Amino acid sequence: MSNVTEADFGRKNASSTPVVEYRDVRKQYGNFTALDGVSARVNRGEVLCLIGPSGSGKSTLLRTTNALEVIDGGQLYFDGHPLPSSKAEIRKVRQRMGMVFQSFELFPHKTVLENITIGPLTVLGISEAEANARARVLLEKVGLTDKADRYPANLSGGQQQRVAIARALAMEPEVMLFDEPTSALDPETIGEVLNVMKRLADEGMTMVVVTHEMSFARRVADWVVVFDHGKIVEQGPPAQIFDAPREDRTRNFLSHLGWNG
Amino acid sequence: MNLDWSVVWQFSGTLAKGAGITILLTIATMAVAVPGGIVLALMRLSPNRVLNWMALCFVEFFRNIPLILLVYWSFYVLPVLSGLTLPPFTTGLVALALNVSAYNSETFRAGINSIRKGQSEAGLALGMSHIEVMRKIVLPQAARRVLPVLASTWVSLFKDTSLVSVIAVGELAHTALEIRSQTFRILEILTAMAVIYWVLGYPQAKLADWIYRKWGVKE
Repeated sequence: MSNVTEADFGRKNASSTPVVEYRDVRKQYGNFTALDGVSARVNRGEVLCLIGPSGSGKSTLLRTTNALEVIDGGQLYFDGHPLPSSKAEIRKVRQRMGMVFQSFELFPHKTVLENITIGPLTVLGISEAEANARARVLLEKVGLTDKADRYPANLSGGQQQRVAIARALAMEPEVMLFDEPTSALDPETIGEVLNVMKRLADEGMTMVVVTHEMSFARRVADWVVVFDHGKIVEQGPPAQIFDAPREDRTRNFLSHLGWNG
Repeated sequence: MNLDWSVVWQFSGTLAKGAGITILLTIATMAVAVPGGIVLALMRLSPNRVLNWMALCFVEFFRNIPLILLVYWSFYVLPVLSGLTLPPFTTGLVALALNVSAYNSETFRAGINSIRKGQSEAGLALGMSHIEVMRKIVLPQAARRVLPVLASTWVSLFKDTSLVSVIAVGELAHTALEIRSQTFRILEILTAMAVIYWVLGYPQAKLADWIYRKWGVKE
Protein backbone atom coordinates (compact mmCIF):
# COMPACT_ATOMS: atom_id res chain seq x y z
CA MET A 1 0.00 0.00 0.00
CA SER A 2 2.85 2.35 -0.73
CA ASN A 3 0.60 4.33 -3.03
CA VAL A 4 -2.06 5.33 -0.50
CA THR A 5 -1.40 9.02 -1.00
CA GLU A 6 -1.50 8.69 -4.75
CA ALA A 7 -4.67 6.64 -4.55
CA ASP A 8 -6.17 9.21 -2.23
CA PHE A 9 -6.09 11.76 -4.99
CA GLY A 10 -9.53 13.09 -5.65
CA ARG A 11 -11.11 11.70 -2.49
CA LYS A 12 -13.70 13.66 -0.53
CA ASN A 13 -12.15 15.90 2.16
CA ALA A 14 -8.80 14.29 1.49
CA SER A 15 -6.90 17.25 2.90
CA SER A 16 -8.57 17.32 6.32
CA THR A 17 -8.10 14.88 9.20
CA PRO A 18 -9.71 11.55 8.41
CA VAL A 19 -12.57 10.45 10.69
CA VAL A 20 -11.03 7.00 10.95
CA GLU A 21 -7.57 5.91 9.99
CA TYR A 22 -6.16 2.39 10.15
CA ARG A 23 -2.37 2.13 10.12
CA ASP A 24 -0.84 -1.28 9.64
CA VAL A 25 -3.61 -2.83 11.78
CA ARG A 26 -3.06 -6.45 12.84
CA LYS A 27 -5.36 -8.92 14.50
CA GLN A 28 -4.62 -12.50 15.36
CA TYR A 29 -6.93 -15.27 16.60
CA GLY A 30 -4.56 -17.96 17.80
CA ASN A 31 -2.77 -19.09 14.65
CA PHE A 32 -5.22 -17.38 12.35
CA THR A 33 -4.23 -13.97 11.07
CA ALA A 34 -7.47 -12.06 10.65
CA LEU A 35 -5.86 -8.72 9.79
CA ASP A 36 -2.39 -8.67 8.35
CA GLY A 37 -1.25 -5.07 8.29
CA VAL A 38 -4.21 -3.09 7.04
CA SER A 39 -3.91 0.61 6.25
CA ALA A 40 -6.83 2.71 5.09
CA ARG A 41 -8.56 5.97 5.86
CA VAL A 42 -12.13 7.15 6.00
CA ASN A 43 -12.59 10.82 5.23
CA ARG A 44 -15.38 13.00 6.55
CA GLY A 45 -18.60 12.58 4.59
CA GLU A 46 -17.31 9.57 2.74
CA VAL A 47 -19.03 6.23 2.20
CA LEU A 48 -16.40 3.53 2.32
CA CYS A 49 -17.42 0.02 1.34
CA LEU A 50 -15.41 -3.01 2.44
CA ILE A 51 -15.86 -5.94 0.09
CA GLY A 52 -14.23 -9.33 -0.29
CA PRO A 53 -14.79 -13.03 0.35
CA SER A 54 -16.25 -14.28 3.65
CA GLY A 55 -13.61 -14.54 6.34
CA SER A 56 -11.28 -12.13 4.58
CA GLY A 57 -11.18 -9.75 7.56
CA LYS A 58 -13.52 -6.96 6.54
CA SER A 59 -15.93 -7.44 9.46
CA THR A 60 -13.00 -7.78 11.83
CA LEU A 61 -11.62 -4.45 10.63
CA LEU A 62 -15.01 -2.81 11.09
CA ARG A 63 -15.26 -4.21 14.62
CA THR A 64 -11.82 -2.88 15.56
CA THR A 65 -13.06 0.62 14.71
CA ASN A 66 -15.15 0.85 17.91
CA ALA A 67 -12.95 -1.59 19.82
CA LEU A 68 -15.41 -4.49 19.85
CA GLU A 69 -12.24 -6.24 18.69
CA VAL A 70 -8.97 -5.08 20.17
CA ILE A 71 -6.11 -4.85 17.71
CA ASP A 72 -2.84 -6.70 18.26
CA GLY A 73 -0.64 -4.37 16.26
CA GLY A 74 -0.59 -1.12 14.33
CA GLN A 75 -2.59 1.99 15.16
CA LEU A 76 -6.12 3.14 14.85
CA TYR A 77 -7.05 6.82 14.85
CA PHE A 78 -10.44 8.32 15.40
CA ASP A 79 -10.70 11.99 14.48
CA GLY A 80 -6.93 12.30 14.60
CA HIS A 81 -6.51 10.72 18.04
CA PRO A 82 -5.30 7.19 18.73
CA LEU A 83 -8.10 4.91 19.95
CA PRO A 84 -7.84 5.01 23.76
CA SER A 85 -7.28 1.89 25.80
CA SER A 86 -9.11 2.76 29.03
CA LYS A 87 -12.66 1.44 29.26
CA ALA A 88 -14.13 4.83 30.15
CA GLU A 89 -12.43 6.53 27.21
CA ILE A 90 -13.49 3.78 24.83
CA ARG A 91 -17.09 4.36 25.89
CA LYS A 92 -16.77 8.03 24.96
CA VAL A 93 -15.50 7.07 21.52
CA ARG A 94 -18.26 4.51 21.00
CA GLN A 95 -20.85 7.17 21.79
CA ARG A 96 -19.64 9.03 18.72
CA MET A 97 -19.91 5.99 16.43
CA GLY A 98 -23.10 4.21 15.43
CA MET A 99 -23.08 0.51 14.67
CA VAL A 100 -25.52 -1.65 12.74
CA PHE A 101 -25.20 -5.43 13.01
CA GLN A 102 -25.92 -8.19 10.54
CA SER A 103 -28.43 -9.79 12.93
CA PHE A 104 -29.98 -6.43 13.97
CA GLU A 105 -29.54 -7.10 17.70
CA LEU A 106 -32.56 -5.05 18.68
CA PHE A 107 -33.44 -5.49 22.34
CA PRO A 108 -36.40 -7.88 22.28
CA HIS A 109 -37.73 -6.83 25.69
CA LYS A 110 -38.03 -3.19 24.63
CA THR A 111 -40.47 -1.54 22.25
CA VAL A 112 -39.25 0.04 19.04
CA LEU A 113 -39.32 3.48 20.69
CA GLU A 114 -37.48 2.21 23.78
CA ASN A 115 -34.85 0.57 21.59
CA ILE A 116 -34.13 3.96 20.09
CA THR A 117 -34.20 5.94 23.35
CA ILE A 118 -32.22 3.52 25.53
CA GLY A 119 -28.84 4.76 24.27
CA PRO A 120 -29.42 8.49 24.74
CA LEU A 121 -31.25 7.93 28.06
CA THR A 122 -28.58 5.67 29.52
CA VAL A 123 -25.47 7.20 28.09
CA LEU A 124 -26.13 10.82 27.19
CA GLY A 125 -28.41 11.48 30.15
CA ILE A 126 -30.92 13.55 28.18
CA SER A 127 -34.53 13.86 29.35
CA GLU A 128 -37.11 11.26 28.41
CA ALA A 129 -39.17 13.87 26.55
CA GLU A 130 -36.17 14.88 24.48
CA ALA A 131 -35.18 11.28 23.80
CA ASN A 132 -38.72 10.41 22.71
CA ALA A 133 -38.89 13.43 20.44
CA ARG A 134 -35.56 12.52 18.88
CA ALA A 135 -36.71 8.91 18.41
CA ARG A 136 -39.92 9.98 16.67
CA VAL A 137 -37.99 12.12 14.20
CA LEU A 138 -35.73 9.16 13.44
CA LEU A 139 -38.67 6.76 13.08
CA GLU A 140 -40.10 9.11 10.52
CA LYS A 141 -36.77 9.18 8.75
CA VAL A 142 -36.70 5.38 8.46
CA GLY A 143 -40.41 5.27 7.63
CA LEU A 144 -41.67 3.43 10.70
CA THR A 145 -43.64 6.06 12.63
CA ASP A 146 -46.57 3.68 13.11
CA LYS A 147 -44.41 0.97 14.71
CA ALA A 148 -43.19 2.96 17.74
CA ASP A 149 -45.02 0.84 20.30
CA ARG A 150 -44.45 -2.55 18.69
CA TYR A 151 -41.90 -5.08 19.86
CA PRO A 152 -39.09 -6.12 17.50
CA ALA A 153 -40.48 -9.66 17.21
CA ASN A 154 -43.54 -8.20 15.47
CA LEU A 155 -41.51 -6.53 12.72
CA SER A 156 -40.09 -7.88 9.48
CA GLY A 157 -36.33 -8.19 9.13
CA GLY A 158 -36.12 -5.08 6.99
CA GLN A 159 -38.16 -3.09 9.51
CA GLN A 160 -36.00 -4.36 12.37
CA GLN A 161 -32.86 -3.29 10.59
CA ARG A 162 -34.30 0.15 9.93
CA VAL A 163 -35.07 0.45 13.65
CA ALA A 164 -31.48 -0.61 14.36
CA ILE A 165 -30.25 2.19 12.11
CA ALA A 166 -32.50 4.66 13.95
CA ARG A 167 -31.18 3.35 17.27
CA ALA A 168 -27.61 4.02 16.17
CA LEU A 169 -28.50 7.47 14.78
CA ALA A 170 -30.15 8.44 18.08
CA MET A 171 -26.66 8.90 19.52
CA GLU A 172 -25.97 11.48 16.79
CA PRO A 173 -22.79 9.71 15.74
CA GLU A 174 -20.03 11.13 13.59
CA VAL A 175 -19.59 7.89 11.71
CA MET A 176 -21.86 4.91 11.08
CA LEU A 177 -20.46 1.38 10.94
CA PHE A 178 -22.52 -1.20 9.05
CA ASP A 179 -21.60 -4.87 9.42
CA GLU A 180 -23.26 -6.69 6.52
CA PRO A 181 -26.56 -4.94 7.24
CA THR A 182 -28.55 -6.79 4.59
CA SER A 183 -27.02 -10.28 4.74
CA ALA A 184 -29.69 -11.65 7.09
CA LEU A 185 -32.60 -10.15 5.18
CA ASP A 186 -35.15 -11.62 2.82
CA PRO A 187 -34.44 -10.38 -0.69
CA GLU A 188 -37.67 -8.36 -0.81
CA THR A 189 -36.70 -6.28 2.25
CA ILE A 190 -33.09 -5.58 1.29
CA GLY A 191 -34.10 -2.61 -0.85
CA GLU A 192 -35.83 -0.72 1.96
CA VAL A 193 -32.71 -0.91 4.14
CA LEU A 194 -30.37 0.08 1.32
CA ASN A 195 -32.63 3.04 0.53
CA VAL A 196 -32.38 4.29 4.10
CA MET A 197 -28.61 3.91 3.90
CA LYS A 198 -28.47 5.71 0.59
CA ARG A 199 -30.45 8.63 2.00
CA LEU A 200 -28.10 8.76 4.98
CA ALA A 201 -25.15 8.89 2.61
CA ASP A 202 -26.78 11.67 0.60
CA GLU A 203 -27.15 13.68 3.83
CA GLY A 204 -23.38 13.53 4.18
CA MET A 205 -23.04 10.89 6.92
CA THR A 206 -19.62 9.29 7.11
CA MET A 207 -20.17 5.55 6.66
CA VAL A 208 -18.10 2.39 6.71
CA VAL A 209 -20.07 -0.46 5.18
CA VAL A 210 -19.13 -4.13 5.04
CA THR A 211 -21.32 -5.48 2.28
CA HIS A 212 -21.94 -8.16 -0.30
CA GLU A 213 -24.31 -5.84 -2.17
CA MET A 214 -22.07 -4.92 -5.09
CA SER A 215 -24.63 -2.75 -6.83
CA PHE A 216 -25.00 -0.71 -3.62
CA ALA A 217 -21.24 -0.34 -3.37
CA ARG A 218 -21.04 0.63 -7.03
CA ARG A 219 -23.79 3.22 -6.71
CA VAL A 220 -23.24 4.70 -3.25
CA ALA A 221 -19.62 4.21 -2.21
CA ASP A 222 -17.05 6.97 -2.61
CA TRP A 223 -14.27 4.54 -1.95
CA VAL A 224 -14.11 0.77 -2.12
CA VAL A 225 -11.64 -1.45 -0.28
CA VAL A 226 -11.19 -5.05 -1.44
CA PHE A 227 -10.10 -7.60 1.16
CA ASP A 228 -8.61 -11.03 0.84
CA HIS A 229 -6.87 -13.14 3.49
CA GLY A 230 -6.64 -10.31 6.00
CA LYS A 231 -5.04 -7.88 3.57
CA ILE A 232 -6.21 -5.13 1.32
CA VAL A 233 -5.90 -6.33 -2.25
CA GLU A 234 -6.91 -3.10 -3.86
CA GLN A 235 -8.64 0.14 -2.99
CA GLY A 236 -10.02 2.86 -5.16
CA PRO A 237 -13.12 4.65 -6.34
CA PRO A 238 -15.97 2.33 -7.39
CA ALA A 239 -15.40 3.08 -11.06
CA GLN A 240 -11.93 1.61 -10.78
CA ILE A 241 -12.83 -1.40 -8.64
CA PHE A 242 -15.92 -2.46 -10.55
CA ASP A 243 -15.11 -1.37 -14.08
CA ALA A 244 -11.35 -1.51 -14.32
CA PRO A 245 -9.90 -3.51 -11.43
CA ARG A 246 -6.13 -3.47 -11.34
CA GLU A 247 -5.68 -6.69 -9.43
CA ASP A 248 -6.46 -10.22 -10.58
CA ARG A 249 -7.80 -11.11 -7.15
CA THR A 250 -10.34 -8.26 -7.34
CA ARG A 251 -11.41 -9.47 -10.77
CA ASN A 252 -11.65 -13.06 -9.52
CA PHE A 253 -13.72 -12.08 -6.51
CA LEU A 254 -16.12 -10.00 -8.59
CA SER A 255 -16.48 -12.69 -11.26
CA HIS A 256 -17.29 -15.27 -8.55
CA LEU A 257 -20.16 -13.05 -7.52
CA GLY A 258 -21.30 -12.89 -11.13
CA TRP A 259 -20.51 -9.19 -11.30
CA ASN A 260 -20.54 -7.99 -14.85
CA GLY A 261 -21.00 -4.28 -14.33
CA MET B 1 -58.67 -52.26 60.14
CA ASN B 2 -60.71 -49.48 61.62
CA LEU B 3 -60.03 -46.01 60.45
CA ASP B 4 -60.85 -42.94 62.41
CA TRP B 5 -60.70 -39.87 60.21
CA SER B 6 -62.03 -37.63 62.97
CA VAL B 7 -58.46 -37.25 64.15
CA VAL B 8 -57.77 -35.19 61.07
CA TRP B 9 -60.59 -32.76 61.87
CA GLN B 10 -59.59 -32.71 65.50
CA PHE B 11 -56.13 -31.47 64.55
CA SER B 12 -57.12 -29.46 61.49
CA GLY B 13 -56.11 -26.17 63.10
CA THR B 14 -52.65 -27.49 63.95
CA LEU B 15 -52.22 -28.92 60.46
CA ALA B 16 -53.30 -25.62 58.91
CA LYS B 17 -50.73 -23.81 60.99
CA GLY B 18 -48.06 -26.29 59.86
CA ALA B 19 -49.07 -25.76 56.24
CA GLY B 20 -48.82 -22.00 56.79
CA ILE B 21 -45.27 -22.39 58.08
CA THR B 22 -44.39 -24.57 55.08
CA ILE B 23 -45.60 -21.84 52.72
CA LEU B 24 -43.82 -19.15 54.72
CA LEU B 25 -40.58 -21.13 54.70
CA THR B 26 -40.81 -21.61 50.92
CA ILE B 27 -41.37 -17.90 50.34
CA ALA B 28 -38.61 -16.88 52.75
CA THR B 29 -36.14 -19.32 51.18
CA MET B 30 -36.82 -18.00 47.67
CA ALA B 31 -36.65 -14.41 48.91
CA VAL B 32 -33.09 -15.12 49.99
CA ALA B 33 -32.08 -17.58 47.27
CA VAL B 34 -33.10 -15.49 44.24
CA PRO B 35 -30.91 -12.48 45.06
CA GLY B 36 -28.30 -14.90 46.42
CA GLY B 37 -28.35 -16.83 43.16
CA ILE B 38 -27.98 -13.65 41.10
CA VAL B 39 -25.01 -12.47 43.16
CA LEU B 40 -23.33 -15.88 42.89
CA ALA B 41 -23.97 -16.04 39.14
CA LEU B 42 -22.48 -12.57 38.62
CA MET B 43 -19.47 -13.61 40.70
CA ARG B 44 -19.05 -16.73 38.58
CA LEU B 45 -19.19 -14.64 35.42
CA SER B 46 -16.94 -11.85 36.66
CA PRO B 47 -13.40 -11.57 35.33
CA ASN B 48 -12.14 -11.36 38.93
CA ARG B 49 -10.57 -14.75 39.65
CA VAL B 50 -11.00 -14.59 43.42
CA LEU B 51 -14.73 -13.84 43.21
CA ASN B 52 -15.02 -16.48 40.55
CA TRP B 53 -13.35 -19.13 42.62
CA MET B 54 -15.27 -18.28 45.80
CA ALA B 55 -18.58 -18.59 43.98
CA LEU B 56 -17.52 -21.81 42.29
CA CYS B 57 -16.60 -23.40 45.63
CA PHE B 58 -19.83 -22.26 47.22
CA VAL B 59 -21.98 -23.58 44.40
CA GLU B 60 -20.22 -26.90 43.99
CA PHE B 61 -20.17 -27.51 47.74
CA PHE B 62 -23.79 -26.75 48.55
CA ARG B 63 -25.16 -28.32 45.38
CA ASN B 64 -23.43 -31.62 45.99
CA ILE B 65 -24.16 -32.44 49.59
CA PRO B 66 -27.51 -33.93 50.57
CA LEU B 67 -29.99 -31.34 51.77
CA ILE B 68 -30.79 -33.37 54.88
CA LEU B 69 -27.13 -33.31 55.86
CA LEU B 70 -27.10 -29.55 55.36
CA VAL B 71 -30.14 -29.28 57.63
CA TYR B 72 -28.43 -31.28 60.39
CA TRP B 73 -25.21 -29.35 59.87
CA SER B 74 -27.00 -26.01 60.26
CA PHE B 75 -28.63 -27.29 63.42
CA TYR B 76 -25.64 -28.88 65.15
CA VAL B 77 -22.47 -27.40 63.66
CA LEU B 78 -23.39 -23.84 62.64
CA PRO B 79 -24.16 -22.73 66.24
CA VAL B 80 -20.76 -24.04 67.34
CA LEU B 81 -18.95 -22.30 64.50
CA SER B 82 -20.84 -19.02 64.68
CA GLY B 83 -21.61 -18.92 68.39
CA LEU B 84 -25.25 -18.07 67.60
CA THR B 85 -28.17 -20.25 68.51
CA LEU B 86 -30.86 -19.66 65.94
CA PRO B 87 -34.49 -20.71 66.29
CA PRO B 88 -35.36 -23.85 64.27
CA PHE B 89 -37.25 -21.92 61.58
CA THR B 90 -34.24 -19.69 60.87
CA THR B 91 -31.89 -22.68 60.98
CA GLY B 92 -34.04 -24.49 58.42
CA LEU B 93 -34.17 -21.34 56.33
CA VAL B 94 -30.37 -21.10 56.33
CA ALA B 95 -29.99 -24.71 55.17
CA LEU B 96 -32.58 -24.39 52.41
CA ALA B 97 -31.31 -20.99 51.28
CA LEU B 98 -27.72 -22.27 50.97
CA ASN B 99 -28.86 -25.19 48.83
CA VAL B 100 -31.36 -23.29 46.67
CA SER B 101 -28.99 -20.31 46.18
CA ALA B 102 -26.44 -22.71 44.73
CA TYR B 103 -29.04 -24.14 42.35
CA ASN B 104 -30.42 -20.73 41.43
CA SER B 105 -26.93 -19.48 40.69
CA GLU B 106 -26.52 -22.15 38.03
CA THR B 107 -29.95 -21.31 36.65
CA PHE B 108 -29.10 -17.61 36.40
CA ARG B 109 -25.68 -18.33 34.96
CA ALA B 110 -27.21 -20.44 32.21
CA GLY B 111 -29.82 -17.73 31.63
CA ILE B 112 -27.21 -14.99 31.32
CA ASN B 113 -25.05 -17.14 29.05
CA SER B 114 -28.05 -17.87 26.83
CA ILE B 115 -28.30 -14.20 25.83
CA ARG B 116 -26.19 -14.01 22.72
CA LYS B 117 -23.07 -11.92 22.60
CA GLY B 118 -24.48 -9.61 19.94
CA GLN B 119 -26.95 -8.23 22.47
CA SER B 120 -24.14 -7.09 24.78
CA GLU B 121 -22.20 -5.78 21.80
CA ALA B 122 -25.19 -3.72 20.69
CA GLY B 123 -25.27 -2.14 24.15
CA LEU B 124 -21.52 -1.60 24.25
CA ALA B 125 -21.60 -0.07 20.78
CA LEU B 126 -24.04 2.54 22.10
CA GLY B 127 -21.40 3.47 24.65
CA MET B 128 -22.88 1.69 27.66
CA SER B 129 -20.68 0.29 30.41
CA HIS B 130 -20.58 -3.44 31.13
CA ILE B 131 -22.71 -2.86 34.23
CA GLU B 132 -25.32 -0.90 32.27
CA VAL B 133 -25.40 -3.62 29.62
CA MET B 134 -25.89 -6.26 32.31
CA ARG B 135 -28.61 -4.31 34.09
CA LYS B 136 -30.59 -2.99 31.15
CA ILE B 137 -30.09 -5.59 28.44
CA VAL B 138 -28.83 -8.95 29.65
CA LEU B 139 -30.48 -9.45 33.05
CA PRO B 140 -34.03 -8.46 32.01
CA GLN B 141 -33.87 -10.95 29.13
CA ALA B 142 -32.19 -13.63 31.23
CA ALA B 143 -34.85 -13.21 33.93
CA ARG B 144 -37.58 -14.07 31.47
CA ARG B 145 -35.70 -17.11 30.30
CA VAL B 146 -35.07 -18.46 33.80
CA LEU B 147 -38.56 -17.80 35.13
CA PRO B 148 -39.87 -21.25 34.11
CA VAL B 149 -36.87 -22.94 35.74
CA LEU B 150 -37.31 -20.88 38.90
CA ALA B 151 -40.95 -21.90 38.96
CA SER B 152 -40.06 -25.58 38.96
CA THR B 153 -37.38 -24.99 41.60
CA TRP B 154 -40.13 -23.39 43.66
CA VAL B 155 -42.33 -26.46 43.32
CA SER B 156 -39.48 -28.78 44.41
CA LEU B 157 -38.57 -26.47 47.26
CA PHE B 158 -42.14 -26.50 48.54
CA LYS B 159 -41.89 -30.26 49.00
CA ASP B 160 -38.27 -30.25 50.17
CA THR B 161 -39.14 -27.98 53.09
CA SER B 162 -40.45 -31.19 54.71
CA LEU B 163 -36.81 -32.18 55.31
CA VAL B 164 -36.43 -29.50 57.98
CA SER B 165 -38.97 -31.42 60.08
CA VAL B 166 -35.98 -33.36 61.44
CA ILE B 167 -34.89 -30.29 63.41
CA ALA B 168 -38.39 -29.64 64.76
CA VAL B 169 -39.38 -26.72 62.57
CA GLY B 170 -43.14 -26.72 63.08
CA GLU B 171 -44.00 -26.92 59.40
CA LEU B 172 -46.49 -29.31 57.86
CA ALA B 173 -44.44 -32.52 57.88
CA HIS B 174 -43.21 -32.03 61.42
CA THR B 175 -46.68 -31.12 62.68
CA ALA B 176 -48.25 -34.13 61.01
CA LEU B 177 -45.60 -36.51 62.31
CA GLU B 178 -46.07 -35.12 65.83
CA ILE B 179 -49.81 -35.72 65.65
CA ARG B 180 -49.09 -39.22 64.40
CA SER B 181 -46.95 -40.06 67.41
CA GLN B 182 -49.54 -38.60 69.78
CA THR B 183 -52.51 -40.42 68.32
CA PHE B 184 -50.97 -43.47 66.59
CA ARG B 185 -53.36 -42.76 63.70
CA ILE B 186 -50.60 -43.36 61.19
CA LEU B 187 -52.56 -44.04 58.03
CA GLU B 188 -55.06 -41.23 58.57
CA ILE B 189 -52.45 -38.61 59.35
CA LEU B 190 -50.04 -39.59 56.58
CA THR B 191 -52.93 -39.59 54.12
CA ALA B 192 -54.05 -36.18 55.32
CA MET B 193 -50.49 -34.93 55.02
CA ALA B 194 -50.23 -36.25 51.46
CA VAL B 195 -53.55 -34.66 50.53
CA ILE B 196 -52.55 -31.29 51.95
CA TYR B 197 -49.18 -31.31 50.17
CA TRP B 198 -50.87 -32.34 46.95
CA VAL B 199 -53.70 -29.82 47.16
CA LEU B 200 -51.23 -27.02 47.82
CA GLY B 201 -48.56 -28.26 45.44
CA TYR B 202 -50.65 -29.14 42.40
CA PRO B 203 -51.86 -25.59 41.65
CA GLN B 204 -48.26 -24.40 42.01
CA ALA B 205 -47.08 -26.99 39.52
CA LYS B 206 -49.87 -25.95 37.13
CA LEU B 207 -48.89 -22.32 37.59
CA ALA B 208 -45.29 -23.26 36.80
CA ASP B 209 -46.46 -24.97 33.59
CA TRP B 210 -48.45 -21.89 32.67
CA ILE B 211 -45.44 -19.65 33.29
CA TYR B 212 -43.42 -21.99 31.14
CA ARG B 213 -45.85 -21.67 28.25
CA LYS B 214 -46.26 -17.92 28.63
CA TRP B 215 -42.64 -16.92 29.23
CA GLY B 216 -40.73 -19.79 27.67
CA VAL B 217 -38.26 -18.66 25.03
CA LYS B 218 -39.75 -18.00 21.65
CA GLU B 219 -37.74 -15.79 19.41
